[in-house]
Amino acid sequence: MNGLPLFPTTTVGSFPKPPYLLEARRKRLRGQIEPEQLRQLEEQATREWIQRQEELGLDVFVDGEMYRGDMVAYFADEMEGFAIAGLVRSYGNRYYPKPVVVGPVGRRRPITVEWFRFAQSLTGKPVKGMLTGPYTIAEWSFNEYYPTRRELVLELARAIHEEAVDLERAGARFIQIDEPAIHTRPDEDFDLAREAMEIVTDGLSAYTITHVCYGDVPRIYPRMLDLPVHQIDLALKNEDFALLEVFRQHRFTKDIGLGVIDAHSHRVETAEEVLDGIRRSLEVFEPRQVYVSPDCGLKTRTIDETVGKLAAMVEGARRAREELGAG
Amino acid sequence: MRTTHVGSYPKIPDLPAPGRWRTAAEKLQRGEITREEFRRVEDEVTREAIADQVGAGLDMVTDGQIRWEDPQTYFARRMDGFSIDGLQRWFDTNVYYRQPVAQGRVAWREPVTVEDYRFARSHSPRPVRPVVTGPYTLARLSQNRYYPRFSDFVLDVAQALNRELRALDAESPPLIQVDEPAILQHKEDLALFREAAAALLEGVRAPVALYTYFGDARGVVRVFYELPVEVVGLDFVAGVRNWEVLESEGFPQDRRLGFGVVDARNTRLETVDEVLRALDRVSRFVPLDRVDLGPTAGLEFLPRRAAKAKLVRIAEVKRAALEVTR
Ligand SMILES: [Zn+2]
Repeated sequence: MNGLPLFPTTTVGSFPKPPYLLEARRKRLRGQIEPEQLRQLEEQATREWIQRQEELGLDVFVDGEMYRGDMVAYFADEMEGFAIAGLVRSYGNRYYPKPVVVGPVGRRRPITVEWFRFAQSLTGKPVKGMLTGPYTIAEWSFNEYYPTRRELVLELARAIHEEAVDLERAGARFIQIDEPAIHTRPDEDFDLAREAMEIVTDGLSAYTITHVCYGDVPRIYPRMLDLPVHQIDLALKNEDFALLEVFRQHRFTKDIGLGVIDAHSHRVETAEEVLDGIRRSLEVFEPRQVYVSPDCGLKTRTIDETVGKLAAMVEGARRAREELGAG
Repeated sequence: MRTTHVGSYPKIPDLPAPGRWRTAAEKLQRGEITREEFRRVEDEVTREAIADQVGAGLDMVTDGQIRWEDPQTYFARRMDGFSIDGLQRWFDTNVYYRQPVAQGRVAWREPVTVEDYRFARSHSPRPVRPVVTGPYTLARLSQNRYYPRFSDFVLDVAQALNRELRALDAESPPLIQVDEPAILQHKEDLALFREAAAALLEGVRAPVALYTYFGDARGVVRVFYELPVEVVGLDFVAGVRNWEVLESEGFPQDRRLGFGVVDARNTRLETVDEVLRALDRVSRFVPLDRVDLGPTAGLEFLPRRAAKAKLVRIAEVKRAALEVTR
């Protein structure tokens, strides 16, 4: 579909920021440069990543999120009702600014649409509209305002829905709603997360994707297949494709975004390894179900690692196509 | 009533203050400072963490677990049989840990916590409780590539950690806290948990506090009550159904309750009244002089300002409670 080859290659969303941009972001924090100067460098870095994706031969592009810090804080910053509580450690010496809900949440204006337009204007390949899902925004924020998580999640779902509609109007044919926190409380909250996703994707005609990573995916399987999206993108490489066993027991009925590259290791995978991952996955998926992608966003890798990993991924997918006579 | 911290403390201060620990960790990674220099930064930050707890007015403190990469790695790294693998989410938090992998027979090699405990004790005017990750939780959050049976793995970890507890015991700490949150997620393993806990506590003379969090102890609390521990710690926020546990199972007369009622995972600061009401409610099951009032878990989920505010609130509640009963 969509004029894409078999095993379309794509990425999960974020790419590493070049050193000049990191430096500019630090300077902007200290008020040493103007917002427009930062914006220019963000655009430059976005152009570079679009160019790299062209050179790598990926099929579905992302804008690389050069203008986003953290996937939740970015949306919190742009929306009503949030403040930033402070820095919280996620692991090692990685910290992220954790938002706190202090009032009614909602959109002030379109959040990601302008960047989508900009990135799409640079390429003939489709660029994904990239959103963080309501459950994850709620789960990864402190809440000092809403009496229940449910009220917060559903209010956020309405805001993210508006954003998805605006992206579609701006021409997005692919819209990804990341929900890496969706299995946080698999028994208590999965229905809420699904209800929220129903609100987000209601009435969209774009091809919709949700990305889920880490945590206990088997716990929400096969209920996960009830999520109203076309594709679920999952990290398989990280646990050496152990998830395939789970899908063997109950058929995976959506398209799969097959994570074949470990997003958190420095090691650059080989094309052979990627090919092997795709082959193994074909024991449980039909070839036409499979999109090929890394396990997660690549922003914690270096640019060289990212390019190396993606080159292996694209080559692995090409060989897989060839093997099926679809090259 | 005793007020206490029960775990981690944020390693960096709030912006715009510079995060010395974080900068040092980056420098260590790049090879720009030595381990020894990094350790001195950890020393300083540990003293800050202790000072904040003491300043808040707590009766008992921890070392803030400033030197812990995470509750698994910190122990597994110094035990035989483990390697350290990729990132995993820690329970239902947005915090990640590096997963230990049992590659061979697990055994104790050297004291892990003893030096750190000595350091904290010598820099704290208040009693310090060392904390050890329990064997069930350490094994459950690891990958097992060596043992044919999970139970053999857990029991070897229990043997190893028993050596650790004995090493701590030689320092005569006022209390040793053992964290076993994972049993709440795997209640089907209760018999194994009990066996591991017995092996862990064998020959340990110091009083032990068994702490659980991120869930409730329905169906397992009886075993906690039967173990030779002085304190049973329960989380009454994420495990709000622990109230039902008290209703149905009561609380033993010869134990203290680790009453986790100040939410370690949300910045919203409980009011004094709110916590006083909870204390009033809990006093129907446990007299207040056998209550250890504290946060539900370690405080590294919060920015430091919010973490400190929680500890200050805990001490305020105790003062208010004493006035009420006076
Ligand atoms: Zn991810």
